[in-house]
Amino acid sequence: MESSGVQVAYKEVDVVTTGTFGAMCSSGAIINLGHADPPIKIQNAWLNDVPIPHPGAAVDLYIGATIGSETKPSEYGGAHVIEDLIRGKEVELRATAYGTDCYPRTRIETTLTKEDLNQFYLLNFRNGYQRYSCATNGRDETIYTYMGKLLPRYRNATYSGAGELNPLTNDPDYETIGLGTRIFLGGGQGYVIGEGTQHNPKSRLGTISVRGDAKKMSPEFIRGASFTNYGTSLYVGIGIPIPLLNEGIAKKASIRDEEIVTDIVDYGIPRRDKGAIRDTNYKELKSGRIDINGRDVKVTSLSSLKTAHKITETLKTWIEGASFYLSQHVEKLPTDTVFKPMKQTGETAFVESIVHEAVTCREDERIEEVAQRLVNRSVNHVVVVDGQGKLSGIVTSWDITKSIANGKKTLKDIIVRNVHTTSLNDPLETASRTLAQHNISALPVVDGERRVLGIVTSEDISRLLGGARSG
Amino acid sequence: MLRFSKEIVDRPITSQVILEQGTPVNILSAHMNQQGGEILVDIESAHADKVIKAFRDKGVTVDVRKLVEKDDDKCIDCGACVSICPMDALTFDEAHTVVLDEEKCNGITCGLCVDACTTRAIRLLG
Ligand code: SF4
Ligand code: SF4
Repeated sequence: MESSGVQVAYKEVDVVTTGTFGAMCSSGAIINLGHADPPIKIQNAWLNDVPIPHPGAAVDLYIGATIGSETKPSEYGGAHVIEDLIRGKEVELRATAYGTDCYPRTRIETTLTKEDLNQFYLLNFRNGYQRYSCATNGRDETIYTYMGKLLPRYRNATYSGAGELNPLTNDPDYETIGLGTRIFLGGGQGYVIGEGTQHNPKSRLGTISVRGDAKKMSPEFIRGASFTNYGTSLYVGIGIPIPLLNEGIAKKASIRDEEIVTDIVDYGIPRRDKGAIRDTNYKELKSGRIDINGRDVKVTSLSSLKTAHKITETLKTWIEGASFYLSQHVEKLPTDTVFKPMKQTGETAFVESIVHEAVTCREDERIEEVAQRLVNRSVNHVVVVDGQGKLSGIVTSWDITKSIANGKKTLKDIIVRNVHTTSLNDPLETASRTLAQHNISALPVVDGERRVLGIVTSEDISRLLGGARSG
Repeated sequence: MLRFSKEIVDRPITSQVILEQGTPVNILSAHMNQQGGEILVDIESAHADKVIKAFRDKGVTVDVRKLVEKDDDKCIDCGACVSICPMDALTFDEAHTVVLDEEKCNGITCGLCVDACTTRAIRLLG
């Protein structure tokens, strides 16, 4: 039998160890501070300037991994506070309260290390996705996502998960992993405490929620991460032993990278349903290069395979050395839950609803003709198209005014070639962001082949979005 | 970094190289006097090899500066930077460790990996 991580062979070895180390946003830690004197019932708290929503009574705080600090939101966040605490560093607590008869105190400032805390445990409500899509970007500009930095026009791609080493991938029907399964978590031991949020077994997108004592964890397996323009996240190391109780389980646990299929998705499409460019599998992804629409594109993981291997090895050593005992789950993960989209009561507007015909011209026309067209049609933008109606540039009334002032004679000299565009399916918010980011006032609407379908202007958008934003 | 000795400091070497090679050489800083001088320049990576050779042929000492630095203690070998790098300067070795090959790196003219790094382990040396 082919190996999956460590040796897999029913009758030879009776446990497979699996592991993954990746960015898992839906993670966090619960801490209990103990009571101050006089006591305080915390209403608002900050740890190293990261605002902490508190879920419980007076002095319990939940440090969410993705909450950014007030000073450097996408550089330092809850994830980094958790890492710093695990490292044994001191963190600064600041808290305020309204004061009650039993909790009179209204402010407190102090420093804490993990030793000062009563409880400090990791409580992650969605970890260990069975598999995940591979992300790329078809837009003309770099985008920054939770799947990392994606260069324009399919210049790179990223994926997540450890493929054949991934825990749930090796137990796809959740026969051994369930509530109560003891696991490797962040360098210490923890438990699966149920299915994770968005658990989607039918699409083989299962997730787990986990809990473990963070005081015993190590920064090698728990790391704060910063995704530029997205925010912070926590890299979590999870390892799960799978006992090969029967041949069926053993067979499933021998899954190989080429059998794990996932989609390549264009994250440049700012919609929930992005569709798939095509499928791929983890073997292809791990090769470092994939073909996207005929291009050879570099692809890399966002999860560390090196650390995933280290987790499977560590777990194996623990089991062999009897410092880790396998546990029987007390309840299975559900196999029939569905993952519903959000119910939305308001209408969302898309570019499609405000696009109108663009006034166009050809590159070889004279400036005077184009100027005349601007006046006749009372618009400020003329879209330059080629013989097939494809976008080749844009000219604004301001460009024409400047050309007169600077004595430029031909249209070619004043065409703006680097044009930002939008598509019919883009939400108005996205178009409005593009306008604001580049300080421009109109966007040609193009299809996948860059054929011009129309134009939207900042006036159209602000009329619909309530006039608050303009280009 | 270009170093000009006392003997050659008065020759118009930089402009000669620009003209001969037909590529722009962006001067970032320059300190010159009769005793010699130093110029810090930025060259497009595509032309770097022949421009460096041209300067060396004219007796200039050329130091190629290390332009980015990766802190291996911070790096978690996630690979977020690997697919970004146009020069294949960031790659996985056999043990899946991410390694930086400074020779291949473009540095200042590129810097694409810096804000792609999830642990801020890569920085530009200015
Ligand atoms: S600066 Fe550019 S060339 Fe150098 S390692 Fe980073 S991405 Fe590669
Ligand atoms: S993105 Fe940063 S942390 Fe990840 S492999 Fe590259 S240098 Fe290391």
